[in-house]
Amino acid sequence: MAAPEQPPQPPPPEGSKPLSALLGGIAQVAYYGNADITEELLRGQLYPEAAPEEFRALRAKMGGLLQSIASADMDLNQLEAFLTAQTKKQGGITSDQAAVIAKFWKNHRIKIRESLINQSRWDNVLKNMNWRVDLKSQSRHKDQINTPVAIVEMELGKNGQESEFLCLEFDEAKVSQMLKKLSEIEESMSLLTQTT
Amino acid sequence: MAAGSAAVLARALEALDVGGAADKITLIPQDFFAELCEQIIQHLNHKIPGVNTAELCERIQTSGIEINVGDLAKIANIVSFLFSTAARSNLSTEELVTALGNTVSVLPKHAVQVIRHVWNEQGKSISVSEDARNTATVGQFVDIKWKLGVAMSSDTCRSLKYPYVTVTLKVADPSGQITDKSFEMTVPQFKNFFRQFKEMAAVLETV
Repeated sequence: MAAPEQPPQPPPPEGSKPLSALLGGIAQVAYYGNADITEELLRGQLYPEAAPEEFRALRAKMGGLLQSIASADMDLNQLEAFLTAQTKKQGGITSDQAAVIAKFWKNHRIKIRESLINQSRWDNVLKNMNWRVDLKSQSRHKDQINTPVAIVEMELGKNGQESEFLCLEFDEAKVSQMLKKLSEIEESMSLLTQTT
Repeated sequence: MAAGSAAVLARALEALDVGGAADKITLIPQDFFAELCEQIIQHLNHKIPGVNTAELCERIQTSGIEINVGDLAKIANIVSFLFSTAARSNLSTEELVTALGNTVSVLPKHAVQVIRHVWNEQGKSISVSEDARNTATVGQFVDIKWKLGVAMSSDTCRSLKYPYVTVTLKVADPSGQITDKSFEMTVPQFKNFFRQFKEMAAVLETV
């Protein structure tokens, strides 16, 4: 491109690489918590010949589209309908750009969705869990000698905050009690996924 | 030895400010105080996993007594300490009451009566061994409650639609206090949690 002035849309098919990378950069900031990816950085790396205002407009438009797609968690049908509509709009996108966006969403949907889910979890979560089985060789209770017990360590905490470590002892009976309740939960969960 | 141990107990009671707690103890009717002491000694005897101070406090409050869970927990700790120290020093009932009387003249008569009675009946069966200190950081699992929900949407995402389970574990901490610990799990996290417990069961069986 010899012309110093870029047209408002970056049209060339080679633009698919920078666009894909732009979407990646947008996702880094919006969903993967990487605040270092600034607009200047993206422009310099991907669209060095674009004027700042034009690039800002492009970034805003692409960001908005990705936001709509992610917020609705679009499946392939919804995505196609949505992007097709965008290509028909005044000031919308080209079909090449639609193709790039579609490919990006297919590849990143799961990860972006996971990130959105995490952003909405504000209560204690189970961050990690370890366990081992000990043989109680001495005990205050004589009939507990040589009984195996499970020692479970659970790391609990809110996202981004300090964890609390909960250390619990389970004998065989308590593990059975736990398993019974966990089975109830599993049953409810499968009923739920059947109906949604 | 006996006199020395009683003196040690007396000094410890002073440090714990049993005198300060005495006016709260006075508030508690005798039968409730007896129930508290019974639970404490049963916990020390490993017959129950812990003392349900929250539940007991609620019942005391319902009967019109103004006492909060924090105060009741403090009293429970003091009585628990009293009994376990007395057990370690092998105090007789008379020695225990004497030590109490020397330190805390302000303890209500009915409270001393209860302590004397409970110690007399069940104090001898408390055996305190050295591994008590080793297990000090491990709590006991008591029970689990759960609730299954679906997060539908949020301010950042209109279509979340993910199921998650909120679990509340009732645990007895090493001192015997029963507390609740809650946390959430998504479906994959829950599946992993479940799998781990199944593995635990399998290992426990084979050991």
